[in-house]
Amino acid sequence: MKAQRVLDSMDRHKPAPKYLNLLQIKLPPGGIASVAHRISGVLMFLAVPLVAWLFALSLQSEQGFHAVRAQLASLPGRLLMLVLVWALSHHLLAGIRHLLLDMEIGLEKSRARASAWVVNVGALLVTALYLWASL
Amino acid sequence: MSRAAEGLGGWLLQRFTAVYLAVYLLAVVARLLIQGTPGYAEWRTWFALPWMGVLTVMFAIAVLLHAWIGVREVLIDYVHPVWLRLVCMAVTGLVLLGSLLWVVRALTLAAMPGTA
Repeated sequence: MKAQRVLDSMDRHKPAPKYLNLLQIKLPPGGIASVAHRISGVLMFLAVPLVAWLFALSLQSEQGFHAVRAQLASLPGRLLMLVLVWALSHHLLAGIRHLLLDMEIGLEKSRARASAWVVNVGALLVTALYLWASL
Repeated sequence: MSRAAEGLGGWLLQRFTAVYLAVYLLAVVARLLIQGTPGYAEWRTWFALPWMGVLTVMFAIAVLLHAWIGVREVLIDYVHPVWLRLVCMAVTGLVLLGSLLWVVRALTLAAMPGTA
């Protein structure tokens, strides 16, 4: 019986089950934290040249400084800041969780689940707080 | 260096740079929260301080290393044609190195009196 199942699973003509529909995948909190850790990192990498350019412009001259402030106050600027605040807070919280797990702190399933939940919700809370403070 | 040691080096470097990035950013955010949004003069004086300039260049180098290791890992997982992966890695390296040099240039100019 078991051997038959192994043979079935080795049958390459059978279509492999695929669950690529994001609405149908049910990831555990740790999976969400992990995927979002990657996404937030890639988002921040994409922002690196823009942030470097804005930082240089802000130091260059009084006009440059005010141009940067005006850009950040515009609607696209505000949206960008919101995305970056979420990305940074999620990446930071998930990174701290990662370091603690590396040190074998909170490895038990229930505690790892709880800390992943804290990371996912915490990043959203920080983002909401930023949005509220910037209104 | 053996391939295994290279992997270990990247693993450790990712964690060391992560800690530095977190400490620097939290310190800067804390200062901005405590002292409020700075004007241009205050902003520039701050980054013209020698120690702040050095800490900030170190931050930019840490960003480069951390992002390089992270993006490389993502590319290895998702970009399978070797030539395309190499192109992506070359672009990543150029973007990161260019951004780093741009920040170093800005900090150097900011530290020189009379360039405003």
